[in-house]
Parts: sequence; structure tokens; C-alpha cells
Amino acid sequence: MKMDKLDFEEALKKLEEVVKELENEEISLEDSMHKFELGIKLSSHCLKKLNEAEQKIEELTRSEDGRLVTKELEIDTDN
Amino acid sequence: MDINSTKIYSVSELNHLIRQDLESSFSNIWLEGEVSNFFFHNRKHMYFDLKDEDSKVKIVMFYQNNRKLLFEIEEGLHIQVNGYISIYKKRGEYQLIALEARTVGKGAFVLAFEQLKEKLSKKGFFDTGIKKKIPLLPEKIGIATSIDGAVLKDIVSILKSRFPNFHLTVRNVSVGGMKSASEICSALEDLCSHGVDVIIIARGGGSMEDFWGFNSEELACSIHKCKVPLISAVGHQTDFTISDFVADLRAATPSVAAEKVILDKKKVTGDIENIISAMLEKTLWRLRTSRKQFLTLIDRRYFKRPIIMLGNRYQDVSITRRDFSENISRIIGRKKTERVRATSGLVPDRILSKVNSYRLTIKNNDLQWRYSVINYVANKKKYINFMLESLEKNTPVNIIKRGFATVYDAKTGKNVNTVDMISRGEDIKVCLRDGQIKARVFEILKKSLLRSGNKNEDG
Repeated sequence: MKMDKLDFEEALKKLEEVVKELENEEISLEDSMHKFELGIKLSSHCLKKLNEAEQKIEELTRSEDGRLVTKELEIDTDN
Repeated sequence: MDINSTKIYSVSELNHLIRQDLESSFSNIWLEGEVSNFFFHNRKHMYFDLKDEDSKVKIVMFYQNNRKLLFEIEEGLHIQVNGYISIYKKRGEYQLIALEARTVGKGAFVLAFEQLKEKLSKKGFFDTGIKKKIPLLPEKIGIATSIDGAVLKDIVSILKSRFPNFHLTVRNVSVGGMKSASEICSALEDLCSHGVDVIIIARGGGSMEDFWGFNSEELACSIHKCKVPLISAVGHQTDFTISDFVADLRAATPSVAAEKVILDKKKVTGDIENIISAMLEKTLWRLRTSRKQFLTLIDRRYFKRPIIMLGNRYQDVSITRRDFSENISRIIGRKKTERVRATSGLVPDRILSKVNSYRLTIKNNDLQWRYSVINYVANKKKYINFMLESLEKNTPVNIIKRGFATVYDAKTGKNVNTVDMISRGEDIKVCLRDGQIKARVFEILKKSLLRSGNKNEDG
């Protein structure tokens, strides 16, 4: 399974399936090892996705020639 | 009577005079009644009657006046119109030129809201089937709101606590009054072309007039067309706008929108960590169980003392060997009998080579048994999962079982357990472990005969 292509939601959904399969006591040892490995990959992919971006607030405006431009925006939320 | 002294009007003249008269006498009046015969010519000028129980008056409301109406004039509506009386010269009919109209009973805003809601509902704008799912983890959140308002501050502060590494793109719009609608519409377009995963439109509390822009048909159409999932968050819990209904999700307040637009990072991280430990626990349990199974299995005598198993195999081999030697004796015996009968045809070399080939077969078989047992033990150690099943299949008892068959007389169905019960040419049924063979007896050899043949050979 190509992890990089999976978005967070797909990975989380697959992870839930894996957990369900692991809970099935009929599953063979070999299968359960594969599922476990997949589950760990999916979990770390999810955690990676959660921490991927950095906080950013920007304002979207139109420049004089009508192009869309963004500039960083400070919003004070201390009070 | 002097006909010349009598004033004679032309038709146009009369209508003109009456028009002047009426327009000055009824230059600014309010008229109340129920709308009927409503006709919206090219969706520009409106023509209708206002009537009561006994009478009616023609009303004209031109585009420049009716375009300012909040609500739609429709059949049966009870309204008041303001304007002046005029004459339509071509027909000589009088009519009221309406400059303004207002509702009777319900407020105009309420009426307009209800009318638009019904109209859009009929168009399917509110259907739950077309609602887009709000992503759990949007990479970029777009918001159309006032950049200076408290709403944006609230949303940012909630986002910071829920998901500190969020990415927010703000499009500044005015959120009050009628003109906000078209500003928000272009903000939606801009946010979409800039590329965001979800859009919030938000403003704080106010009167129905304050957020009237969110009740406009123009904005409703923009939201309906918008390809990006959209959350509408206008006013307080109790405020409902048309945007709320068209949006993919209504948030009761802007703060709620911030909670619905992205997952709670701390919570979800904890959930995933719990999942990891649950998986680990489950898998360790599996491993422990399998290890126990394995230990129980290798404790069996097959693995502890494989020679016992070999001993069983040797027994098989010796049985087979005896069978072979009996077969050979039988063939030799038959040949001998034939020779005795025909006094010719016996070729000792051929018999000898047959004997040799059987010997070789026995030797090969012996080796095969050995290898199969060794491989068997090795394989079992490797494949724990197949062990039990395979062992069941391959127990010596079952292997010996394979060689046994029961013979029945095909005609009578009786079990044939001695050669005396059957004669040459009769049909028999041979029942094996996995099926039956129908056969015909072509020769019967008594065991005593074989023995005597054997003796003859030896002697």
C-alpha cells in the first residue's frame, strides 16, 4: 500500500478496518503479523499528517491588476 | 340651445383633463387590498389588481420601483401600496401607479425569508443528498468574514487550541446589510480559485436586517454552486438564514464553526495512540497463544522421538515388501503352472528381470519413506499453522487404511470375503475409502494354489 498517496481520512478509515480485523480471533498468526505491520504504518502516517503543516494565517485580496494575492495576517487573540 | 356654445371634448382631451384632475387629487395615497390577476411582464413591470369583497383597482408597479421590494408580490397576498392615480389614456382606464408596497400582518423580512425559503426548497437547494462532507483535516481553511470583527478573533483562538498548526486564508468582506451578499459571493469565488479545502462564511449576532445579505437569493445561488464544502455560521443559536439552509453545514455560532471545521488534534492523536497500543496488545496475545500452541505440539512424541514415527513407517514398508514378494511368488507360480501346462514359453531371464525390478522398487520405496519422514518432521516445525491438520491426515493408521477395500457381489450385493463366493466372469463392486470400482472377475486364484506354486519354485 502506497502510504504517501493516502490522505488522512483514507488512512484513518483503513486503520479502523485493520483494527477490526486484528480483533477477529480467527485470523491466522501470519495474517495478524501483516495486519499489525500495516496498522502501525497507517497510524504513523496519520500522526505524520496531523503534524505536517505549520500555523499560518493569511489574507486573500485582489491586486490592482486583479490577481489574487495573499499576505500574512496577524490576529491578536490574547484577550 | 346653441350648439356652438356647448363645449365638445375630444376623447384624448377628456382623458387628459381627467388624468390631470385625478393625479392632483390622488397624488399620494395608500391603498390596501388583496393581490389578484398578478402579471409580471418579462420580470420587469408588475400589473395586478387590488381587491376587496366588492371592488377592485388596477395597479401598475414599474421596474424601478418594484426592484427595491424585499418580498415578492404574489397572488392572494394582502398588501398596502403607496402611489398616485393616473389614467391609461389609450383605454381611458384609471390605475394606481405604485411606488412602494408593504406587507400587512407579517413583516416584510419575514415574508421575504419565507418566500425565498420555499422557492429554493422547491429547487432542491436544501436537499440533504447534495450536502458535501466537511473534511476532518483540511489543509487550508478559507473564511469570508469581516477582518476586524470579533468573529475572526474567536475563530482563530479556537483553531489555535484545537489544531495549532492550522492554515487559514481570510477573505475580508462586509457582513452587514444588503450589499454584503455580492461581496460574499465574490469572496467565495476567490477562495475557490485560490484553493481551499473548506470555507466558512460567518458574522456575529444582529437583527434580521443586519444579516439580510445572508438571506439573499444571490448568495444562496453562489453557495449552491460552490464546489468546496461550506459552513454557514451567522448570528446566534436562534438565528437562521437562507445561507444556513443552503450550506453543507450550519454552525449555530461562528465559534461552533471553528470546532466543526477541523478535528481536535490532541484528542485524535490520543485516539491513534490508543489504537496503536490496542493493536500491539492484540498481536502480542496472538504471538503468545501461537507460541503456546507450538510448544504443545513439539512436545508430542512425533517431534520428541521421531524414530517412533520411523518405526511406524518401517512397519508400513515391511508390509509392502511382503505384499510385493507375495505378488512375485504369485507371478512365478503362475508362470510355472503355465509352463507345466504348455511345456514351453517359460523364459527364466524375463522372470529374473522382473524380480530385479521389484527389488529395486522396494529399495526406492524404502528410501522414499525415509526422506518423506525426515521432510515431514522438518516441514511441520516450519509451518505451525498446518501442523495439526496435516498430522491428522498423515497418521500411520490413515495411511494403512488407504490400502483396504471391501468387495461386494454386484448382483446380490453381498459382501465377498472368500474367492469361493464369486466365479469368473461375474461383476463385483470394490468399495474404497473415496469411492467404488465396478469390475469383472477374469481370474480367480486360490491362495493354497499360490503356496504350492511357491513351494514348487523353491523346490
